[in-house]
Amino acid sequence: MKKSFLDYIFRNRLPVTLFVVVASFALTYYSSRAERDGIGYSPDQPIAYSHKIHAGDMKIDCQYCHVGVEKSRHAMVPAVATCMNCHTVARKDKPEIIKLAEYYRDRKPLQWKRIHKVPDYAYFNHSVHVNKGIDCTACHGEITQMEKVGQMNSFTMGSCLNCHRDAHAKFPELRDKIKPGPEYCSACHR
Amino acid sequence: MSDIKSDNTQNMDSDQLEPNYWRSFEALYNDPTVIEAKGHEFKEGVTDDFSATGMSNLSRRKFLALLGASAAIAGTACTDYRDKGEIVPYNIKPEEITVGKPNFYASTCTACANACGILIKTREGRPIKVDGNPDHPVNKGKICAKGQANILNLYDPERLKTPLIGRNSSFNEVSWKDADSDIINALASANGKEIAIVTNPITSPTTSKVIEDFKSKYPATKVYSYSLFNDDIKNSAWQKTFGSGKYPLIKWNEAKVIVALESDFLGVDGNKIENSRLFAEGRDVETKSFNRLYCIDSTLTITGNNSDYRLRLRPEAQIEFVMSLMNELSSKGALNLSVNTSGYSLSGFATKYNLNKKVLDQLVKDLASNKGKAIVDAGISLSENVHVAVNLLNEALGNFTMFRSDSVVNIFAENSSVQEIDSLIQKINDGNVAAVIHFDCNPVYHLAQDFGYKKALSKAGLVVTLSERENETTFVSKYVLPINHNFESWGDAKTRTGVISLQQPVIAPLNSTRQKESILLTWINGKSDSFNETLYHEYLMKNWEVSIYQTLNSKLDFKRFWFGALHDGIVLTNDIPSISRSFNNAVTGLLSANVSEKGFAVIIKESYNVADGSFSHNGWMQELPHPVSKISWDNYAAVSEKTCKDLGVENFDMIEIKIGDRKLSLPVFMQAGTADNVVVIESGFGRQNSGTVANEVGFNSNLLMSKNSNLSQWIYSDATITKTGDSYKLASSQEHHAFDDPKVQDLHKSRHIIQEATVAAYVKNPHVIKEKHHEDQPSVYDPHPYNGLKWGMAIDLNKCTGCGDCVVACNVENNIPVVGKDQVLVSREMQWLRIDRYYSGTPEDPQVSMQPMLCQHCDQAPCENVCPVVATNHSPDGLNQMVYNRCVGTRYCSNNCPFKVRRFNFFNFRDHFRDSFQENPILALMHNPEVTVRSRGVMEKCTFCVQRISEGRADATHENRKLKGSDITTACQDSCGSNAIYFGDINDKESEFYKYRNHELGYYVLEELNVKPNVTYIAKLRNIHSEEV
Repeated sequence: MKKSFLDYIFRNRLPVTLFVVVASFALTYYSSRAERDGIGYSPDQPIAYSHKIHAGDMKIDCQYCHVGVEKSRHAMVPAVATCMNCHTVARKDKPEIIKLAEYYRDRKPLQWKRIHKVPDYAYFNHSVHVNKGIDCTACHGEITQMEKVGQMNSFTMGSCLNCHRDAHAKFPELRDKIKPGPEYCSACHR
Repeated sequence: MSDIKSDNTQNMDSDQLEPNYWRSFEALYNDPTVIEAKGHEFKEGVTDDFSATGMSNLSRRKFLALLGASAAIAGTACTDYRDKGEIVPYNIKPEEITVGKPNFYASTCTACANACGILIKTREGRPIKVDGNPDHPVNKGKICAKGQANILNLYDPERLKTPLIGRNSSFNEVSWKDADSDIINALASANGKEIAIVTNPITSPTTSKVIEDFKSKYPATKVYSYSLFNDDIKNSAWQKTFGSGKYPLIKWNEAKVIVALESDFLGVDGNKIENSRLFAEGRDVETKSFNRLYCIDSTLTITGNNSDYRLRLRPEAQIEFVMSLMNELSSKGALNLSVNTSGYSLSGFATKYNLNKKVLDQLVKDLASNKGKAIVDAGISLSENVHVAVNLLNEALGNFTMFRSDSVVNIFAENSSVQEIDSLIQKINDGNVAAVIHFDCNPVYHLAQDFGYKKALSKAGLVVTLSERENETTFVSKYVLPINHNFESWGDAKTRTGVISLQQPVIAPLNSTRQKESILLTWINGKSDSFNETLYHEYLMKNWEVSIYQTLNSKLDFKRFWFGALHDGIVLTNDIPSISRSFNNAVTGLLSANVSEKGFAVIIKESYNVADGSFSHNGWMQELPHPVSKISWDNYAAVSEKTCKDLGVENFDMIEIKIGDRKLSLPVFMQAGTADNVVVIESGFGRQNSGTVANEVGFNSNLLMSKNSNLSQWIYSDATITKTGDSYKLASSQEHHAFDDPKVQDLHKSRHIIQEATVAAYVKNPHVIKEKHHEDQPSVYDPHPYNGLKWGMAIDLNKCTGCGDCVVACNVENNIPVVGKDQVLVSREMQWLRIDRYYSGTPEDPQVSMQPMLCQHCDQAPCENVCPVVATNHSPDGLNQMVYNRCVGTRYCSNNCPFKVRRFNFFNFRDHFRDSFQENPILALMHNPEVTVRSRGVMEKCTFCVQRISEGRADATHENRKLKGSDITTACQDSCGSNAIYFGDINDKESEFYKYRNHELGYYVLEELNVKPNVTYIAKLRNIHSEEV
């Protein structure tokens, strides 16, 4: 019996096509996973601020600048005036500081490129995490070693739940202090 | 090659002079194949048929397809880093701001003349919510719907943005400087002609001082004050009765018997927040002490809805009723009267007006046995003689202790009389008025047409209107000056003795607007460039330092006192009014009851939602269903069923009402409980030239008003009604039940949605409601243990007046959109919380039950089981969660919800209106940043204010303590004037909430469905005699 054209399509062409599509999707999906999640995203900032110098070498406390982190859901990017607390005297001659001083003088808003972002419908709260003793580096990586800040970890819902479900394994030193994080929807979505 | 040699001479013909060109040796030697080929156009084989088989298998098409496919496949899941935008921090961060945390500022509400104390919640400098100021002795932390909705007025895209100059109804922008200098010139050159300032009553001591200063700078100034609804008749009757003072406030909480005659003290008369609280205190299921409310009025009102006994009476008969009541009481020896009432008889009156004699007997008995604790209150719209009679009755009943001595309303500019306004118009018409300044008021819309105010204005030298938005008056003005909103303004207010409240701005003016007092101050200075932003701020501080601070004997220096006062929003003073009263016997001469009652009586009533029109541009207030009829976006003629039959009209038919030569056409609404031959119309609608939202909504009841009225400004006798033949659509959020259809009649009672008992029955048997309780039935689902916190709500239906303040509070808190009349008509309103209103009994004398209905957060929620994408599910603290980003919009949940509390976004309601009013980016500033703004195609519903729970939990974590149920209040709870809503942890046995959750009067709606709701309703107790139930 002669094989029909349809038979050929279903037996040979379709599986091959599907395989190629799925395989290529899977391959490219995983090969670009980091970009999708933003891991490694490290854009140039309007001012080449170095966390390594400030937080690493000089050991300035994170909360000197990120004042909201214990009180609010936003850690808060510091106001230009916070930089000028020191830089009205310190390193005034450096080109980046001159740029900074211009922003301050003109009262111009400083537009930092955003690196870490969760969607608008997810209400992440910095204060509850920090107040429970979870270190900034748990999500943000070794920020003290970064000349230019980049995203180190994934900020997807999966990554959130990863820790929430398995908090004791992730933070063995906090075993006595913390319970596993909430897993229900309205903990983050409302 | 030999052939070539042999023929080589042919081409080398010696006769030819021209050189012989040859292309190849073959050609040179005349190779026959070449000669043969010369005859063919194409080379051999070139023109052979095209054969696909001879070509590569890959056709051009396939090649391109594969090329595209491989490019597509290679890119299937590839992505580059997405741009995530910018974070823009402050350049210099204000010290008080922590991004993500709200700040609260104490201020004063100017949504109406009551001037309640408010706390304005701001986020990153934007006002997003209003709560009552808990320190304010009048409203005690509560605020009404209008105060809540005032936020929308601030961000209203149609606010006036710059000064305008107009001629013949076309307006052009003008600079403040030019406008000011032109106006100052006109004022300075008044030459003895009058300068008229027209205003609504002024409650601010400092504003009134500004006006005094204005008067001394421009001595020809005269101030005219009016308000569409006022207590003037009540106050003048009090003055005539007792010689001095104003009608005092009533201790509603101490009254045992309250008789409300056409009075809506829980609705629009007086300060409803305070009245509701005091009234609800007198209906406490804990102490089991209940007042008894009798309403004798023309139509159902919020007060009537809450009454224990209600009688329908047309307004003209009220005087005869009070006189008959007095006669009955004195004939029973209960009263000692100084007036002869022998011409009246209560039983005769009852027969004449077909009133229930049993109720009247009960009323007489109650008044006689509760002397000193029984208050009779007449509504502001009734004529003076009724008020005098009521004063007399209260005096005779010894009710003087029911009046509060400590608080008397103070208003700085008394309302002008009809004669005064007439004289102003006369002067304008005579050309004797140099300038008319409308100080934030709208007299063209409000004043009765027969004043001829609008026509007169064209003869005034200069018409200047200070207004937040365009309206009927700005339309006929030469200069329209935009003024600051409440939240952009400085100010103060004194509406009670013993308390002055302060108003402070919480946001810089959004547009090129100015504080209204600053505008006057600039004119007082006489220089158009003398304005600066702090002009009135400094003036206010100066005035406080010089006059108010001095009287207070404060131990603090002024600066500290001032900042303390600003922080608190109020200053308590120790001025105690001296109430002297001596009954003036001559007043009894006013008591004659020979009022003719011909034709139809027309009552014009202040609108619950849009007041006198001052909120008709506010979508939230327009869409809030009327507390009785549940109609939104319209007003109507409320008429009884019998009168409709007599007139031969159906619901929603258009009728024309004619009083004298004044006419108005509007739709009929058959309102249960309305007295026969009475038409009740609410004001504030039918606006013109007032912006997208307000224009052409409803019908202008002011057109029926007259300056000359027999009874009062608001009640007209002898109206005629004709059917026009047209009909109209009214958008109602709740259908009326058919009273006569046995299938649905009293369905709410047979399904136990509403459970009620009498006070007497409850005292006798505390389990009267619990006995109907359904036993727990087994469920197919495993029950969740709920060991920790579990959220629940309890609503005390004894205290709920059904006013709807909570609905607007919920709207503001949860970013709920306005959908418009066309969508309400198809039941697509989005309010998460609604007040259900049920009637039982007859359409003539219905018993009304109100019930706030919201998501019940059922333990075994039927909505959760049917969601195909698990977008709605349960949290371990008992919340029925709704996850918008998961929802695909099947609407199965809504279909399966027995309480019908789920709301679907049929559109993106922020951009689907053709006028693009809602798309204005400024409205986004109003949103609560803690709540997702929902888009088209998702379901939403009450979340029990989950954002507040999250915030409370974060605060508890910050303070290293456990979250308690009492840490959280919901938005509806915060706004409820009568404290009917409780929220908390079901498992916290120590809490106040626990008491209500497990109250013996508590029941669940549709308990038999075994869905286990978490909203407990405390059954309403009616303080009536069981034999009359």
